[in-house]
Amino acid sequence: MMTTHSHALQIFARKLAWLLMLRRAVRWMSAWFFVCGVLILAARIAGTPSLKWLALGILMCVPLAIFAALWERRRLPAFNKIRASYDHLEKCGGLLMAEETAEMSAWHAQLPAASVPGLRWAGSRSLLVLFVAALFVAVTMLLPERLTHLGHRSLEVGKIVDQLQAEVQTLAQEKIIDDKKSDDLQKQLAQLQKDASGYNPDKTWEALDHIKQSDSDLAKQAAEEAVQKTESLTEAETLAQAMQQAADEGMTAATASQAAQDLESLLNAAKLEEGVLNGKIPPELLANLNGLNKEQMEKLVKAMESNKNSLGQTLGDLAKLKMIDPAMLAKLGDAGKKGNSDELAAYLAQCQGGNCDSEILFSWLRHKGGGRGGPGAEMTWDNDTSEKDLKFQEHALPPATQLDAAQLVGVSKAAPELSANDIATGHGALDNAAASGGSAHAQAILPEQKQAVQNFFKRDNQ
Amino acid sequence: MPEANTILKPEELKPAAELARKTLEQLDAILLGRTELHRLVLIGIMARGHILFEGLPGLGKTALVRTIGQILKLDFKRIQFTPDLMPGDVLGTHILQETSSGKRELVFQPGPVFTNILLADEINRASPKTQSAMLETMQENCVTLLGTTRALPQPFFVLASQNPIELEGTYPLPEAQLDRFLFRLLFESVDAEVLDQIISGRRRGELPTPTWQMERAELEILFQTMGRIYLPRPVSRYIARLVSATHPGSAEATAPVNRYVSFGASPRAAIAIAEAARGHALLNGRPSVGFEDVKAVAQAVMNHRLILNYQARFDRMTAAKLVMELLGQLDETGLNLPKDVELAKA
Repeated sequence: MMTTHSHALQIFARKLAWLLMLRRAVRWMSAWFFVCGVLILAARIAGTPSLKWLALGILMCVPLAIFAALWERRRLPAFNKIRASYDHLEKCGGLLMAEETAEMSAWHAQLPAASVPGLRWAGSRSLLVLFVAALFVAVTMLLPERLTHLGHRSLEVGKIVDQLQAEVQTLAQEKIIDDKKSDDLQKQLAQLQKDASGYNPDKTWEALDHIKQSDSDLAKQAAEEAVQKTESLTEAETLAQAMQQAADEGMTAATASQAAQDLESLLNAAKLEEGVLNGKIPPELLANLNGLNKEQMEKLVKAMESNKNSLGQTLGDLAKLKMIDPAMLAKLGDAGKKGNSDELAAYLAQCQGGNCDSEILFSWLRHKGGGRGGPGAEMTWDNDTSEKDLKFQEHALPPATQLDAAQLVGVSKAAPELSANDIATGHGALDNAAASGGSAHAQAILPEQKQAVQNFFKRDNQ
Repeated sequence: MPEANTILKPEELKPAAELARKTLEQLDAILLGRTELHRLVLIGIMARGHILFEGLPGLGKTALVRTIGQILKLDFKRIQFTPDLMPGDVLGTHILQETSSGKRELVFQPGPVFTNILLADEINRASPKTQSAMLETMQENCVTLLGTTRALPQPFFVLASQNPIELEGTYPLPEAQLDRFLFRLLFESVDAEVLDQIISGRRRGELPTPTWQMERAELEILFQTMGRIYLPRPVSRYIARLVSATHPGSAEATAPVNRYVSFGASPRAAIAIAEAARGHALLNGRPSVGFEDVKAVAQAVMNHRLILNYQARFDRMTAAKLVMELLGQLDETGLNLPKDVELAKA
């Protein structure tokens, strides 16, 4: 009987120990889950990118539970107290308690039948708390991101991002940037829109400004390039047309050859295949500019026209997105205006033996032939300045004694002699004119200036 | 703590338990309807304690004491305490007497206290001076007069009674004297069934003569066996915690104790509980004291030892209620299990 009581007592002590350890483990796990949940929630609200370590932290509940159980094991009631409880519950009247002091086998018959006392743990509340804590952790991990960012004030950059995306798309379409760079920029913009936060807008704005500036720079560069190319193409086109006309008017082969060289140099200057906006002239035409027949020349003109239109279209698209200054579009329009090729054709026709001056030719092309400022422009004069109501301050002239001291060297009736050095390489009528010494400056008069000079000397007749 | 070989064996305990059982049978047969009271009285006797009965007149206090005296074959005397009762009337006095040789000398004339069982009837009617004369006799079991100490016959029990009504002209027992009583037992009226048995079975209420009486040697066996009842350490710790918990402000004092108690039970109370619990265990035929033995006697031991404050009087709180509440609250074994863990009999 006593053995049975002893056995029951051992079971009771073991059950009690397990129950207390389980209870402690449940409590610690509940607390741990709550702590983990709060940390995960805080991390997600703070926008911590990686929750991997926090998620792993949840698994720490297992060693924590073991530690809690071991910790509780050290705090278990003393065995004599457990025996006293067993004695009391089983109504042994102190006989089991006395067993720690003396042999009580003689009293075994007096003891009631052995049974293991029951243990009741009102653990529903603790288990509910554990369940709620675990649920809390799960919810914090599975919570949609939009809910965890409730505290964030999102930065409204959608409109700007849309605009920049359109700009990037246009730049890519116009081949100003390649497809890879376009994709990169689109991704960057999408990420910026996603990460835009009202708490730290500087970063977003700076990034968007950087992309916009980059786009603008590219567009500006393309626009300037387009204007330059258009200008060169226009000049080349004018020259080509003049060459066509001059050929009909009897332009010599030498002049045609020289003009073809000039045309080539103009096309080379256009650098159509370089830069961000690429154009193309059929290479068979470029290879034989000197020997182009009429049809080929027309084909060349059309090719140049097509390139110009393409450049105009590109700039138009950029202007629609306000990526370039509207003035740049006007500038392109000016650059695309052709001069009057008739005069140039006449000039080419009159050149004999290939003695056309290329400089004169280019200058004419630059100024688009006659016009307001061309050689054929009429000269006008304003009225003389009125001296009415003007008062002049009188100044005493220096005494003439000094003039008396002057020494007359001599008077020459012959025309002044010109040395090679006296021909100015620069501009300006008085350049290199010596103050004395009997020499005079001679300035080469350009064809376009000739008519103006003649008009000057004929002014009295007007 | 007794040695291993001092714990009683069944054959050693059995005679004493049989004696106690027989005594109880006699009491129950002579005085009807007070089984539980009889058990406590017998426990008090076995613990050599003094008992204070409290009850209305005519409930059988004197009859009980007289019957105990008859069953135990002990000398029995009764003093009716009155306000003019003097200590000499209780303890005895010296009387000038002439001897046979013609010489005169003071001869001590023992008072009624020189007996085995003293019934101090309506003890609270005596003056404090007379009441205090009982102090030495109850604690030291001796009487000192004119520098001479005389031992009282053993065993010596004071079984006092007091009337809870007609309190005018009474002198409530001082705490020091109350503390000397092992138990304060309340005599309550018996039910109609018992009264019917008394009326129909006993002419003029005369008590029947005991059919069995305990010899002096047997009483000694009872006392010796009582001394060998084992008090386990967890039980003694429980008694100590229980008494300590009656003190307001102590670690395990309950809220009612803190609210209503001015002074808690004395260490003598703890000793009394231990002794009474031993008696209870013996009466139940066990060689060791269990927690239930303590609970069975705790109220009778402590209900006159707690000094309550005025708040308790206003709230009609009694010491008995407080002790009951304390017994219900205090964890016997001191396991200190969490509140959500409960032990239960399988």
